[in-house]
Amino acid sequence: MKPQDLGKPTEQFCQLNKLQPLPPPYDQPGMEPDFKPLKDSWKEGYCATLDGFVGNELLKRPTTKEAEDEMIKKFLSGMEKLLSADTNRNWIQPLMLSFEYCAKCNTCSEACHIFESSGGMEIYRPIFRSEVLRKMYLKHKQGGGLLTRFMGGNIDINIESIMRLGELVYRCNLCRRCAQTCPLGLDNGLMTKEIRKIFSMEMGIAPLALHEGGTVKQLATGSSTGITKAAFLDMIEFMEDDLEEYTGKKYKVPIDKKGADIMLIHNAGEFMAWPDNPLAFVILFEEAGLNWTMCSDDLIGYDNVNYGVWYDDAQARKIGAAQKAAAKKLGVKRIIQGECGHAHRAAMVSMDRISVDDHIPNESCFPLMLDILKNRKFEIDPSRNNFPVTIHDPCNYVRSMGIVKPQREIIKMIVPAGQFREMTPHGVNNYCCGGGSGFAIMNSFNFEDFRNKIASRKKFEQIIAAFPDTIENPDIIKYVCAPCSNCKGAIRDILEYYQATEKFNVQYDGLIELIINAMTKFDKPFLHFLRDEEDQF
Amino acid sequence: MPHIEVDGQQIEVDEDGFLITIDNWNEGVAHYFMKEEGIEELTEEHWKLINYLRDYFFQFGIAPMIRKLCKESGFNLKKVYQLFPSGPAKGACKLAGLPKPTGCV
Repeated sequence: MKPQDLGKPTEQFCQLNKLQPLPPPYDQPGMEPDFKPLKDSWKEGYCATLDGFVGNELLKRPTTKEAEDEMIKKFLSGMEKLLSADTNRNWIQPLMLSFEYCAKCNTCSEACHIFESSGGMEIYRPIFRSEVLRKMYLKHKQGGGLLTRFMGGNIDINIESIMRLGELVYRCNLCRRCAQTCPLGLDNGLMTKEIRKIFSMEMGIAPLALHEGGTVKQLATGSSTGITKAAFLDMIEFMEDDLEEYTGKKYKVPIDKKGADIMLIHNAGEFMAWPDNPLAFVILFEEAGLNWTMCSDDLIGYDNVNYGVWYDDAQARKIGAAQKAAAKKLGVKRIIQGECGHAHRAAMVSMDRISVDDHIPNESCFPLMLDILKNRKFEIDPSRNNFPVTIHDPCNYVRSMGIVKPQREIIKMIVPAGQFREMTPHGVNNYCCGGGSGFAIMNSFNFEDFRNKIASRKKFEQIIAAFPDTIENPDIIKYVCAPCSNCKGAIRDILEYYQATEKFNVQYDGLIELIINAMTKFDKPFLHFLRDEEDQF
Repeated sequence: MPHIEVDGQQIEVDEDGFLITIDNWNEGVAHYFMKEEGIEELTEEHWKLINYLRDYFFQFGIAPMIRKLCKESGFNLKKVYQLFPSGPAKGACKLAGLPKPTGCV
């Protein structure tokens, strides 16, 4: 199973049969659901020949020789554009460093949760797909002669290798734990994202959840969720009523307040799936007396996601520029990103490289939340959060941006001493939730199985292992604090998949919900699983 | 794209069985999905949720927040799950002909 064999016509390139064991009580038979069977229609129409998973809906198997030739031609032209400074100006430098200098020491493999969880499957090594690209480029540039083969260009560039590579780039969370450990500082996560660009930007191939249901929808409606300006305003009105019912106090959510100090922007998925999170921000910011606002501009002021950074520079640039323009138009002093990891990185790191107009200070919510707590005008009582708590570190702002301590200082203030426990490892050495780079929202075919059983396996193992003393006691709540919309989605799915909430009372939510739950001015608990049934919804 | 057959008509659905366009919905579609959902009969309570979802979708272009759905219908989430075992998104929205939810939800 070597990179050069990727074009060989086998029914399935590899078979997963020895996943890494899970810790107790999940080491018992029957505790883990089996893989869903592969359907014949998936095999015929898409690419199921890599590892038996299908995730990329637009990666369709061509039905005629002409279509096949066309697909190969486009792939090759995309590869040329990717590796040219004229057409890939923003990324060519880090791309070429990783492309040219890898010593293939495989240190990165040991750092990859997907490689490890899969039981050491060769194709999931971080360097595997980079090596495929290297071989293809060499072969394409120099032909298939003996010297090229000797130098490493010994791969068949055919429909099978291209299709398999198109799936393989969606077997990496882009968490960049491999880049962190590389002795040469090379970034195979970046390489994966760059290869995704060949498929998306040149061939029009990307998972629907990222493209049509993601960036395209966001540019058309204002949000990848499809929330329009009218729907956003309807939600805010509803949230104000909801808040009044819960707190007995009338909070007015500031919308489109010109010249405010802060424009708060959330992942719009929060409004739909976890409305407690934006509600908690309203309470905290209002109680702190901040001069803040949210923005209802439908291009694009109320959704901080930018799925373009996972697969397509052109989409990423358009979205990033629109978000900055919305803030500029309002004349706010700075943007504060809510609890969304990928938005943190997209807006604060990636956009510096690919969209340089309309610069506006862009900051994380976590240091601000800590400042508010340190200078608070309200009382908090940690005993209101009296259950074991662990925290998940979202890769995008922890490993990639170094925001590690504020969350922990906050937790120490709002959770009783002795209840907080770290995962192993944690901080910048954390493992991805398994939902990174779009996986949390990719649910077609049997891709969920790949996410829940392999990509998220390490995280699930870490969660269980964080509560060795209490995991098997369903009377004790165990709280996984996951301050990121995408991670929350992936963690919600594993807790459901492995029935960890149902069987062992493992709960999850963000960080700000814990803060509000500790505020003594409210009689009722804020966390949804502590509320009485009639207050649940 | 896969299809479902309702009253002799072929209707396009996505890989998860959601309608591609809400315009193709009719009561027959709800009855078709009902069987997949394991619902024996669509009661007045089911229709109350389905109609609310459709009205909201036509007004705003998306499904309502789950909490709003509960509040406006007077059914708590537990009750929604009793009516639609796969839940509000995968169950109720599908029967109402709404497209699959997108974004980080």
